[in-house]
Amino acid sequence: MRQGTGIRYALLGVVSQHPDGVHGYALKRHCDRLLGNFWQLNFGEIYRVLDRLAADGLIEHVLVGPESSRKLYRITEKGRRSLDDFILLPPTDAPRPLRQELAVKLLFAGPGRLPELLRLIDHQREAYMRELSLLAVHRRRLARSPVDSFVTQLLIDGAELNVRAELAWLDEVTQKLQERFAGGA
Amino acid sequence: MIAFRHVSKVFGSGDTVVRAVDNLSFECPAGGFWALTGPSGSGKSTVLHLIAGLTPPTSGRVLVDGADVAGMTAAESAALRRRRIGYILQSFNLLPFLTARENVGMPLVLDGVRQAEVDARVHDALALVNLAHRAGHHPTHLSGGEQQRLAIARALVIRPAIILADEPTGNLDRNAGRQLMDLIGDINERTGVTVLLVTHDPVFAAYAHRVLRLVDGALGQDMALVDKRRDPARAAAR
Repeated sequence: MRQGTGIRYALLGVVSQHPDGVHGYALKRHCDRLLGNFWQLNFGEIYRVLDRLAADGLIEHVLVGPESSRKLYRITEKGRRSLDDFILLPPTDAPRPLRQELAVKLLFAGPGRLPELLRLIDHQREAYMRELSLLAVHRRRLARSPVDSFVTQLLIDGAELNVRAELAWLDEVTQKLQERFAGGA
Repeated sequence: MIAFRHVSKVFGSGDTVVRAVDNLSFECPAGGFWALTGPSGSGKSTVLHLIAGLTPPTSGRVLVDGADVAGMTAAESAALRRRRIGYILQSFNLLPFLTARENVGMPLVLDGVRQAEVDARVHDALALVNLAHRAGHHPTHLSGGEQQRLAIARALVIRPAIILADEPTGNLDRNAGRQLMDLIGDINERTGVTVLLVTHDPVFAAYAHRVLRLVDGALGQDMALVDKRRDPARAAAR
């Protein structure tokens, strides 16, 4: 799944949860709660995606009252069918392990750069530890929220397992690089 | 405050010598919540033993609130453990024939504290770990997570300045482990007790404000996690 497709249907999904329509600002809040930590969306991106969804006839605008200029977004029948189709089709994205920059740096750094490489690995490890820390904060926030967050908790579980695997890989790379290039040092 | 100044700990001699801790220096401020992580055999637990005065350093100084632990008499270091340091281990070491309330009160009873004060402090400690409603139960009737919380209450009842936690999640499933780490974080925040956590699990280490990664007894990496976690901008956005 391309990121674009994911965001498109994530927003359509959030709109679908509000049969009477949802305001752009509230939509962003719901997105942050559901998807925060995974997709950081700003208002600009959200409105761009909403405009596309409206142009494709998947959502429509409704006005709150006759004299109000407040615009709500509501899913259309076509949008519902499209969301349903998307949900039921097998995901098209393949797992993409080791697609980070670090893998490329490792490939071309050469043995003379061991100290620098080890520092890069440390840097990456710290970034992952911060990610775990943020996931723990996100999890705590969800646990305190009155809204049912079962699925978001599952997504956090998945993100946590990914980071855990990356960290284990970094430890292994560190150990093997040292064995191979710094033997006796 | 806990300070290590060029601390080494060597076990054995000659061919079988093992440097469990190798010229380690760090300074954990009062109220800090730090994690020590690293592969098994990296010296994490030895660091806690050195702080508690359970083993003397081979060289260097281990300072707890400014006092050199190695320079203490056996009685002084026992008093440090009894009054200043709460120890939590992977095994809960609860006495099965005593109730939760009696288990938590034991360190105070052994220290000669009068019963009325024991009762009051046990009540507070059980409330801190959300176990007040289980006070009359025996450990065998509690879940693994509850038993570990009980062990934490027993460590807290002496009102320690420092909690040393050695793989406290080791016998818990992932969810109970997370709840325990949340609780330890809360207690650190609410009581200001310094927490030094040893864990090989990065998910649990990430609950700390700072993570020291030990490699062969030496400081491999020093990671600060707290700045992003407490970023007020993120908090305001929700």
